[in-house]
Amino acid sequence: MATIVAAMAMTHSPGLTGWFDAAPKGQQEEALRATAEMRERLAAARPDVVIAFSNDHLLNWPINNTPEYTVGIAAEHVGPADWYDEWLALSKYRIPGHPALARYIVNDGARRRLALAYLREMKFDDGISVPMHYLNPDGAIPLIPVTMNCTVPPIPTPERAYQVGSVLRDMLKAYPGKERIAILATGGLSHEPGGPRYFWVDEEFDLWFLDLLKKGDHEALLRDCTLERMEEAGSGGTAELLSWILAMAFTTGPAEVLAYMPAIAWRSGTGMVVWPTLA
Amino acid sequence: MGNVERCDKTLPLNEMMFHVRRDAALRARWLTDLEGIAREFGLSAPEYEALRDKDVRRLHDLGVHQYYVPQILRLFYGASANANSHPALEAYKRAYPKEAVASARLQAELDRRAR
Repeated sequence: MATIVAAMAMTHSPGLTGWFDAAPKGQQEEALRATAEMRERLAAARPDVVIAFSNDHLLNWPINNTPEYTVGIAAEHVGPADWYDEWLALSKYRIPGHPALARYIVNDGARRRLALAYLREMKFDDGISVPMHYLNPDGAIPLIPVTMNCTVPPIPTPERAYQVGSVLRDMLKAYPGKERIAILATGGLSHEPGGPRYFWVDEEFDLWFLDLLKKGDHEALLRDCTLERMEEAGSGGTAELLSWILAMAFTTGPAEVLAYMPAIAWRSGTGMVVWPTLA
Repeated sequence: MGNVERCDKTLPLNEMMFHVRRDAALRARWLTDLEGIAREFGLSAPEYEALRDKDVRRLHDLGVHQYYVPQILRLFYGASANANSHPALEAYKRAYPKEAVASARLQAELDRRAR
């Protein structure tokens, strides 16, 4: 049976690669320190594959048809998509996929009543490209990207994300292979990409959310951190934290917060988190 | 709910932006034949005019998805080094002066704290 060997989460804001220097020196150093620590911990877990839960920024699916979740099943992933490479200041990268496990997720998901769309060729924006740049820079760890829709209404609820995470956890543990699987959530914290509060960060919300993760009481977090609360802290962006809540279902107990920066220069509350205890 | 719920999922401009970002040939025509692209995708006159005028508030009011608005601006002004001082983002400061002032104030406070 497969084993879950790591669970972590980080912000994927495009500023982390595209205009990194625009932030104060202290924030730059903090981001580099925390991502280096995540990278080391990920390598130390010796994963055979990392499953990255991010969100589609209306790049892979048009607005008339946005699946709740989409799995990238390619043998090799290539990014960033053309329109994004200049903005992200990243050159093209290639990361091997894990088609057997990715296809298992799609098919076993269906048997467990999870409707998971898939793409044989997924396009990549900041959601996957930025975390891979920091955590998997040589593409040494095979990747299964999973995107969720958290920005085209109706936006799913935290309860739903946690439930999907629980089903995926049971499914992955039942995979008939010896794979060591790392779980990575990307997105958040507070931000409102393209909205009226585009240059705003809700530091109070972010610290409150991270504190809930540090307490590690999943029920309390699901009760208090409603979708409405996330939308208040930055519409259409803060709900990317649904991927963190999904990843939380792979863990028990407190998360360790490696860093938090209210990074207005990167237009996003910026954080890095690792869960030491896995479910 | 928040600003994102104001989007009109059936707006032709939202469909158009999906394709523009995936098609280099459409992007190459952006600065020279925006009207032609708008016609091909069936945009209404107000949609085309808000687009042409780079009017963030009107684009939001028409129901353009908020993700697409900064991307529309980057097509006009370029996508590299997209920091808050980038010319593409001036249109936001014009459209939402109150929010821009509040953000600048918060930024100043955070800078003070960092020193």
